[in-house]
Amino acid sequence: MCLIEHGQSGDCRVRINIDGVLRTVVYGYPCSIAIDPVEKKPLFHFLPGTKILSTATAGCNLHCQFCQNWEISQANPEDTPAAFCPPAKLVEVTKENRCLSLAYTYTDPIIYYEYTYDSAKLAKQANIRTVLVTAGYINPEPWKKLLKYVDAANIDLKGITEEFYRDVCSATLRPVQNALLIAKASGVWVEVTNLVIPTLNDKAEHIRELARWVRANLGRETPLHFSQFYPRYKMRHLPPTSAKTLDMAREIGISEGLDYVYIGNILSEAGQTTFCPSCKGPLIKRSGYTILQNRLRDGRCPDCKKEIHGVWK
Amino acid sequence: MKRREFLKKLIAGFSTVPVGIWWLAKKVSTPKFVRAVRFREYPGPLRPLADISKQGKWSG
Repeated sequence: MCLIEHGQSGDCRVRINIDGVLRTVVYGYPCSIAIDPVEKKPLFHFLPGTKILSTATAGCNLHCQFCQNWEISQANPEDTPAAFCPPAKLVEVTKENRCLSLAYTYTDPIIYYEYTYDSAKLAKQANIRTVLVTAGYINPEPWKKLLKYVDAANIDLKGITEEFYRDVCSATLRPVQNALLIAKASGVWVEVTNLVIPTLNDKAEHIRELARWVRANLGRETPLHFSQFYPRYKMRHLPPTSAKTLDMAREIGISEGLDYVYIGNILSEAGQTTFCPSCKGPLIKRSGYTILQNRLRDGRCPDCKKEIHGVWK
Repeated sequence: MKRREFLKKLIAGFSTVPVGIWWLAKKVSTPKFVRAVRFREYPGPLRPLADISKQGKWSG
């Protein structure tokens, strides 16, 4: 819980208490709008090869010491240039640029909740899919309300211990796990990302525990992305995650029964390919954010006809 | 126990009932979450909507 005193902003820096009324200073003022490949979110089982309009405002409700986007997530809106783009305009820009979907990403859509909610609602009316890229640190009620207008989400599971969340992210694990469960139960397409940070959360037993939790609670069909860490923000003294560690994480994920385990932020042929969980044949080959080959036919493996979970059209 | 003390305790006992009802009613009627209201203006520097066709520089 974040208690905001009169005249003060909350932990996220962008929600303020003025005379007892909660105000959001970033509604309609994104600090970033760009067109990305959907693979960059990362979403590998959601409209592959399409472009997605991606937006964010300043601020975040977490303070991860390794934040890869800290220049905007840990910034005050007073210091962050932004453009005026109200919800209707955001949807219009998405359509004008022929993007099939709209992503709330880069920082965390939870802190610009009202902007996300209003524009996602409009996007649905305009037949545009909506995507959240979030840490999932939110209470159940607002989360459920928002998910009604969301098609897919990539939710970070930053670690699997309360200590990690408390010491490194200034947060707690349990609400994130709840958010994952609620998103899955709501019918939203969910993919999970874990940033593997040397010495902090790269131990094999922690990775195994995380993969087990995903398998047991979200299902074997949930894609799990292990991403490479780069030294950023308060973790500049740590080296980037090695390819060997990421390969190990992927192997653990597969050995724990997950069907789709990927490696991100680093080139890896096997780690970026979707394999059929039944006949093991390659289905979607990627290089970085580029689709090299997509052999899926109506969401199925062309060889053994196994259904591949995802949103394919 | 004297009569006065007994009456004091009796009144105190009965007064907890409406207080309890008031507390329960307040708890039930309190919204589960508060929707923030848009602030009148952005506190930081404003810029025009730039070229958005390029890939975002941020992760995610």
